[in-house]
Amino acid sequence: MKKLQVFDPALCCSTGVCGTDVDQALVDFSADVDWLKHAGGHIERFNLAQQPMAFADSAVVKGFLECSGAEGLPLILLDGEIAMAGRYPTRKELARFAGLSAALEAIAVTEVKSDACCSGSKCC
Amino acid sequence: MKLLKDVPQFLFFTGKGGVGKTSLACATAVRLADQGKRVLLVSTDPASNVGHVFGVAIGNTVTQIPLVSNLSALEIDPQAAAQAYRDRIVGPVRGVLPESVVRGIEEQLSGACTTEIAAFDEFTELLTDPAMIEPFDHIIFDTAPTGHTIRLLQLPGAWSGFLDDNPEGASCLGPLSGLEKQRQRYSDAVAVLADSCRTRLVLVARAQRSTLIEAARTSEELAHIGFSHQYLVVNGCMPKSEASDPVASAILKREQGALAAMPEVLRALPTDKRDLLPFNLVGVDALRALLSDATIKLPDAVQHRTEDMPRLSGLIDEIEKAGHGLIMLMGKGGVGKTTMAAAIAVELAARGHAVQLTTSDPAAHLADTLRGDTANLTLSRIDPHAETERYRQHVLETKGKNLDAQGRALLEEDLRSPCTEEIAVFQAFSRAIREANHAFVVMDTAPTGHTLLLLDATGAYHREVARNMKDSTRFTTPMMQLQNQEHTRILIVTLAETTPVLEAANLQEDLRRAGIAPWAWIVNQSLAAAHPASRLLALRAEQEWKQLESVQQEYASRIAVVPVQTEEPVGIDALRTLAETD
Repeated sequence: MKKLQVFDPALCCSTGVCGTDVDQALVDFSADVDWLKHAGGHIERFNLAQQPMAFADSAVVKGFLECSGAEGLPLILLDGEIAMAGRYPTRKELARFAGLSAALEAIAVTEVKSDACCSGSKCC
Repeated sequence: MKLLKDVPQFLFFTGKGGVGKTSLACATAVRLADQGKRVLLVSTDPASNVGHVFGVAIGNTVTQIPLVSNLSALEIDPQAAAQAYRDRIVGPVRGVLPESVVRGIEEQLSGACTTEIAAFDEFTELLTDPAMIEPFDHIIFDTAPTGHTIRLLQLPGAWSGFLDDNPEGASCLGPLSGLEKQRQRYSDAVAVLADSCRTRLVLVARAQRSTLIEAARTSEELAHIGFSHQYLVVNGCMPKSEASDPVASAILKREQGALAAMPEVLRALPTDKRDLLPFNLVGVDALRALLSDATIKLPDAVQHRTEDMPRLSGLIDEIEKAGHGLIMLMGKGGVGKTTMAAAIAVELAARGHAVQLTTSDPAAHLADTLRGDTANLTLSRIDPHAETERYRQHVLETKGKNLDAQGRALLEEDLRSPCTEEIAVFQAFSRAIREANHAFVVMDTAPTGHTLLLLDATGAYHREVARNMKDSTRFTTPMMQLQNQEHTRILIVTLAETTPVLEAANLQEDLRRAGIAPWAWIVNQSLAAAHPASRLLALRAEQEWKQLESVQQEYASRIAVVPVQTEEPVGIDALRTLAETD
């Protein structure tokens, strides 16, 4: 099983409570992380404001911060290698990263079902 | 005094800056020690002058007061406690992670919540550790935790691993997850606070409408979570003996009006009234005088200083020259931001300029008086309560929809934090900001530097603004506008008393961290500027001069001093008198 690590930016409240608005990406991603855990995926999250040592201890993350700054976060590592940066992965991408092919198929099935009117969940 | 009857083990004083909490706490401690009780006085006031009051250096260790047997004192600096907490988190990565990243983390941990929770953490052992408590009959605190902090600590969801599982769900409690003490200790401390046999809460207010309203709000909030064992002290009342002085007599009348209109919840509390004293409460004799009913003999010779301080009209002259721009009044609640904003707006309008006054004045009477009455002046009113509620509902419906009951309760409490209100109100205000390119826009509130830095750090505003504008390459964020002194003038409003001046200085420091330089300070409600004839008031005015000089020399790049208002300044004419040359 592959190990996913998510390095979140420093948000005093990543709910967006203290931001200008609730960040929908964070809302969705929290739900997706929850889903992945239930599907058997191995995923960990680190908040820069609360666990900065986790950022400093990883040479990859530290190097990333040096060249991109905290503005480049979030950073997603897959078995210690950079898998994605600057945005949160979708549920589909999470499943692919984690190598959960069964879970991936379940998503595909749901999508086919909901595809009755148009392609993808985005249009309706 | 009712306050001094059957005093329980723990006594907490609470009230906003400048009402005299620390003086009352010190005086109560001295009185109990004089009665032979073993007393520990704990100050968590960042402006703590307890050491100065007793003429001994105290600091962060329990120190015997030489002049009063049985009395010891301890000063907890909440800022230092918060700094120590930040150092624990940030220290290990300083020099390891890039400097800008470290600064960003520090900013996240610089909110008011962090300071308050870190201070609470510091004194939990004074409530729960037998080794700390047993040497004393009474422990007296010159401050009390807010309802928000206590409610957070009471939530089961705040503990029980919720934070570990949902780092994204933690906001105000973020700091707590890094604190060392145990859950058991926090819940014991909260239990002590709620135990009326062991704890008494003393609300301290002045005989002024706004501080009484604020005290009533605190009272209700704390009673709601079970802290109903409350007492009230109305401090610094004008003595009737001074009624021959016109300034004193007018203040007396205003105070009587405020007390007659005192909120209902406060009427039910055991209440003591203390008169205004002619001197600052420094030294044991002064403290003993505060709680004694003996008449105080005033010195015969009083210096009446008559020099004039710069007036509000001077600031308005300068503001007027720019022709347009944003004027924001900042300061703690109750210093008179709304009145100053209205006075500036009305004067600019009277001088023929188009002015928009945006106010969050909770009492609509100002809005009612102004509406439609003045040419050039338009008024918009923001209801902070409604704005905050709308924002809370929005967050709960989006973010809260996938949370379980515990997580939702925690999020709901986070949304009651002072930051939330500030953000919700600022969002409403920021709609008016762009008007300032053409006219004068005067606002009676502004976000703190901390909030602005957080908003800016997330970049959310940049993205939001970019989305809303077709040409996304050229836009100005609220932060950029506030940093531009040509466009925005920040006026800090304060009172000529130690704690309010210090609070204003902290506010200025906070803004500077965000690259914003306050343009001027307004010292409101000044007795010194009213040149009172009464000896008592002249002696008070003498104390004020020290504060006025320190504002002028150490803090403010421009200053205006507004004399004490003898009537509620409501209505166009009353407001215009505030901006008169003399």
